[in-house]
Amino acid sequence: MATHEHHKVRRAGRWFDVRGRKLGMWAFALNRIAAIGLVVYLYLHLVVLSTLSRGPGSWDAFVSLARQPYFLLLDVILLAGILIHGLNGLRVTLMGFDVGVKKQKALFSAFMLVAVVALSAAALKIFGG
Amino acid sequence: MENQLIQETMENPFAQEPKASSTWYWQAFTGVALLLLLGLHFIANHFIATGGIRDFADVVSYLRNPIILVLEVLFLVVVATHAMLGVRAIVLDFGISDHAEKRLSQVLTLIGILTVAYGLWLTWAIIH
Repeated sequence: MATHEHHKVRRAGRWFDVRGRKLGMWAFALNRIAAIGLVVYLYLHLVVLSTLSRGPGSWDAFVSLARQPYFLLLDVILLAGILIHGLNGLRVTLMGFDVGVKKQKALFSAFMLVAVVALSAAALKIFGG
Repeated sequence: MENQLIQETMENPFAQEPKASSTWYWQAFTGVALLLLLGLHFIANHFIATGGIRDFADVVSYLRNPIILVLEVLFLVVVATHAMLGVRAIVLDFGISDHAEKRLSQVLTLIGILTVAYGLWLTWAIIH
């Protein structure tokens, strides 16, 4: 039983291992890793927002912290996750409706290029004020 | 059919026998909606706001705008739905039984409802 369960975990964990895999597997792994990160962030975000219910003192103290450069770096990482997952998810949706199936690799590359450009612009905005 | 297609395009080595799934459509629909709602949320709260984040008074006046309130509540419902469907899809890759799948769906539905309820309570508390 323990071996069977161990096998299941190994099988489901295979998508973390992208060594020697094609671009599609990289896209799949990136999509899922970003998804897990975003779900964790969603609940962290809700916890942070709970300070709003304690009034201006609590929230404005957090705002001061959130404007620190190291915190802004976390914003850039968050935005990277959103762009990777959002654009990759859009590609998967298009595939699901038979749009651009034959060009899916080019579409993935193009969307990731858009993500890099958008992230660079956003990082300049975030750190540039 | 769509699951088979996704299996091919994403090279998902774990997807089992393809079967029509309304959850896939909901995942796609909420995902596209999120591109718009999250975009609006991010721009309004982090790019337009002075200093990249709103102070307390600014948050309260922002949420008291009825149009913003509707959009933020919609965002909350859509993001919670998308997140729970996503977690479900990942757990299903472990090849769980039908009974476990049913129980998982119930638990994730409950977590999603609690998440939305908490968000609504928090919004109400902030506005008042």
